[in-house]
Amino acid sequence: MATIGNNNLNAKLVLLGDMGAGKSSLVLRFVKGQFLEFQESTIGAAFFSQTLAVNDATVKFEIWDTAGQERYHSLAPMYYRGAAAAIIVYDITSMESFTRAKKWVQELQKQGNPNMVMALAGNKADLEDKRKVTAEEARTYAEENGLFFMETSAKTAINVNDIFYEIAKRLPRAQPAQNPAGMVLVDRPAERSRSAACCS
Amino acid sequence: MSESSTMQEGESHDLSDDADYAASQQQGSTSISQNGSGGRTVMNEADRAQVVYQKDNVTIHPTQYASERISGRLRLIKQGSSLFMTWIPYKATPSGNDLTRQNSNVRSAERDRNLYTIRPVPFTDVRSIRRHTPTLGWQYIIVVLSSGLAFPPLYFYNGGVREFLATLKEHAFLVRSADDANAFLVNDFQDPLQKSLSSLELPRAVSVANSPSTLVPASPSPFAESSGRTDRDSCDGSPSASLYSERSRQKVHDPAHDLSIQVLEKFSLLTKYARETTSQLLREIHGDNYGAFERKNEFQSLPSSVHDGRSNDIVKVPDEAPVASDPLETSALVKQKIPCKKQNHGEEAATKVGTFELVNCKEFDKLALVWGKPRQPPLGPEEWTTFLDSEGRVMDSKALKKRIFYGGIEHELRNEIWKFLLGYHKYDSTYAEREYLASIKKSEYETIKHQWQSISPAQAKRFTKFRERKGLIEKDVVRTDRSISFYDGDDNTNVALLHDILLTYSFYNFDLGYCQGMSDLLSPILYVMKDESESFWCFVALMERLGPNFNRDQNGMHSQLFALSKLVELLDSPLHNYFKQKDCLNYFFCFRWVLIQFKREFEYEKIMLLWEVLWTHYLSEHLHLYVCVAILKRYRKKIMGDQMDFDTVLKFINELSGHIDLDATLKDAEALCMCAGENGEACIPPGTPPSLPIEDTGSLYPQQDDD
Ligand SMILES: Nc1nc2c(ncn2[C@@H]2O[C@H](COP(=O)(O)OP(=O)(O)OP(=O)(O)O)[C@@H](O)[C@H]2O)c(=O)[nH]1
Ligand SMILES: [Mg+2]
Repeated sequence: MATIGNNNLNAKLVLLGDMGAGKSSLVLRFVKGQFLEFQESTIGAAFFSQTLAVNDATVKFEIWDTAGQERYHSLAPMYYRGAAAAIIVYDITSMESFTRAKKWVQELQKQGNPNMVMALAGNKADLEDKRKVTAEEARTYAEENGLFFMETSAKTAINVNDIFYEIAKRLPRAQPAQNPAGMVLVDRPAERSRSAACCS
Repeated sequence: MSESSTMQEGESHDLSDDADYAASQQQGSTSISQNGSGGRTVMNEADRAQVVYQKDNVTIHPTQYASERISGRLRLIKQGSSLFMTWIPYKATPSGNDLTRQNSNVRSAERDRNLYTIRPVPFTDVRSIRRHTPTLGWQYIIVVLSSGLAFPPLYFYNGGVREFLATLKEHAFLVRSADDANAFLVNDFQDPLQKSLSSLELPRAVSVANSPSTLVPASPSPFAESSGRTDRDSCDGSPSASLYSERSRQKVHDPAHDLSIQVLEKFSLLTKYARETTSQLLREIHGDNYGAFERKNEFQSLPSSVHDGRSNDIVKVPDEAPVASDPLETSALVKQKIPCKKQNHGEEAATKVGTFELVNCKEFDKLALVWGKPRQPPLGPEEWTTFLDSEGRVMDSKALKKRIFYGGIEHELRNEIWKFLLGYHKYDSTYAEREYLASIKKSEYETIKHQWQSISPAQAKRFTKFRERKGLIEKDVVRTDRSISFYDGDDNTNVALLHDILLTYSFYNFDLGYCQGMSDLLSPILYVMKDESESFWCFVALMERLGPNFNRDQNGMHSQLFALSKLVELLDSPLHNYFKQKDCLNYFFCFRWVLIQFKREFEYEKIMLLWEVLWTHYLSEHLHLYVCVAILKRYRKKIMGDQMDFDTVLKFINELSGHIDLDATLKDAEALCMCAGENGEACIPPGTPPSLPIEDTGSLYPQQDDD
């Protein structure tokens, strides 16, 4: 979750979405400015970080990229727990991926951090001719569910940095002390010293 | 279902005439006195612990040997609204009340019992229970914790899994998994928040450890008594290695403390042996050239103890020990590595581990150097023919496996030899038989393939599962190894073959279906075999062993990651303690390594070498786990020095891809495997992939319930 040091924020962000929707491609574009036509599937999860400057502050995103296949669904809570933000990705050329995205939204609404900033990304926007999900439909859904929505393309880079930037702007600046989602990062040093003391 | 009974003195009188039990009572009393006045009186208060279920002769199988099975008593204990599970092994030998060390067998059995003892685990820590109730063979359950770890299978020798689950249902919230009728999710609360907390999340482990008070009543409490009581049943009053022991106690009783003692003790046994052997070896190396011959005999004790009584598919280590046969070479190795060792030394100190372990690790590293045999050149065609008789039978499969273990295979022979290693061809088959088999299998393949080929668009419209599967496979094959020339370019026919084989496999094994990662496993096989049907059957053979990696309940992965954590505990206790401190004990950062056998970690040529080495099952069926340990050990300094937490470890490990020195890793893995010996094998629950499934009964990937 977002933790603050002066004007610097650390924010855990998780990418969720159907297999092949382009989660890894979005991260790769954002973190390394690259795109691979044949980006490998994600096995388990991958972790990246990237820092953005927003106004007078910097936000360091700690990004969890997850595996999309339903079979690995049970591992996801491990990654979205404690996340300050989530990008739920679907592929505009696949209605199933949009359906899956809605399921993720539901799950996060039920079980994620209530203050989580959620973005819906309709990826592969460059594939206009194969489009199955209209921007209209997705935008309506996003509005109804309090997400913000963008169509992106990891391939052309359209809206990729923007979506992360938007998230950064929306992250709450001041953390309520009892915010449960902040616990993971905040807690660790304390827990470290405690267990170090009793183990040695 | 057992009757409820309070935990009182006389509660187990039915067993008091049992010598084992009497012995355990005696020992138990020491542990009670350690607890101080902990509260036999408290027990009678309102909140007392009750045994709501008890089952005798529940057994674990630490190894495949029947002689090493450990029987014990499984209990469900209820206290207030909390439910706990314990499994306490029986004392093994009637003479067990004699605490003096008798012989190493008994001692190692003791250690095992201690290692596997399940101290009261609150059901809030349990994620799911999977039952296996074959019509033939023993029923067992696997208990998966929310940390992602799982206990080894608990076999119900007298049956009764159903009763167990029924009792459990009365006291805990239990729902059958929608995906798998034999999996029961525990605490799958209707309250979504609670549900998310109890699901398989890593950071959950943090909060559990942080807030014991929410899980178990604060000490002093009836719980403390109940655990004291169960202690008395255990084979030994000494501190347990169990992570779950008595969290409620104060610092002096901190389980982490107990754990480290246990680990130290284990390690010291290991290293005592190691130290003796090493100094002996070094003496020989620096002494005379005959040392090498002496050493052969010297080492026999170890390899044979590792392998005695193994099932046939595991090679018995031949007389010459897997030590560099050239003493000069060996001593060169030792010399070369000495600076390195010093470094390790420093690294231990930096992590503030006690000097005791410092010494051990030094010894251990020395040992590893001596044992890791230099890799050999790959097996070539000329040498290969010497393994075959005139009709094409492999005469000495053990020797062949050993040869491949140390050197791999030249590429053009892989096509032929992989079929043996994978089990598709029998070693004693003739050329003619294999040719015949190929033709039969080809038509069999075509038949299965035809099953999906004949699905018309109209039928597909009404066949969601088929469309979904096909979709998954289509998405994956186009991004599998496309940088390899064999799979590159538009409309690549080999990519189409990957698709067809995988879809056919998902019909052949419809219960398992297609799962991400399978295309990675198939790709090198097709690359080597070239032929569609042969690739399919080799893939089928591989999946016989690795299929459980892809099970919906993640059971195969859990058991491997659990075994891995045990192996690290055994072979590198400082690293283990470090991971424990960082809540990394679920080892999910090794998920990709294990799921697809390091496919993503090495370049293509190296993967083929690694796989054929693993597939020999020489030394161990689970060499891949030792490879994991070897890699972790190579980078332990970095991991611990940089104080990496889970996220950072995962990132670091993902980024190791392409940077791992395979030959050196294999040498280390071999040494670690030898060094761990029986203790290592005991860390690996039976049936852990890639072992073949324990019982072969009908459906291997049960999806539907039959009752
Ligand atoms: N045309 C186009 N293709 C894309 C875009 N983003 C991703 N892809 C392609 O879609 C495929 C899947 O992309 P990934 O980024 O691997 O998808 P993922 O969501 O990470 O998939 P999993 O890891 O399997 O869950 C790859 O072949 C990408 O090259 C995009 O914006 N436009
Ligand atoms: Mg991905």
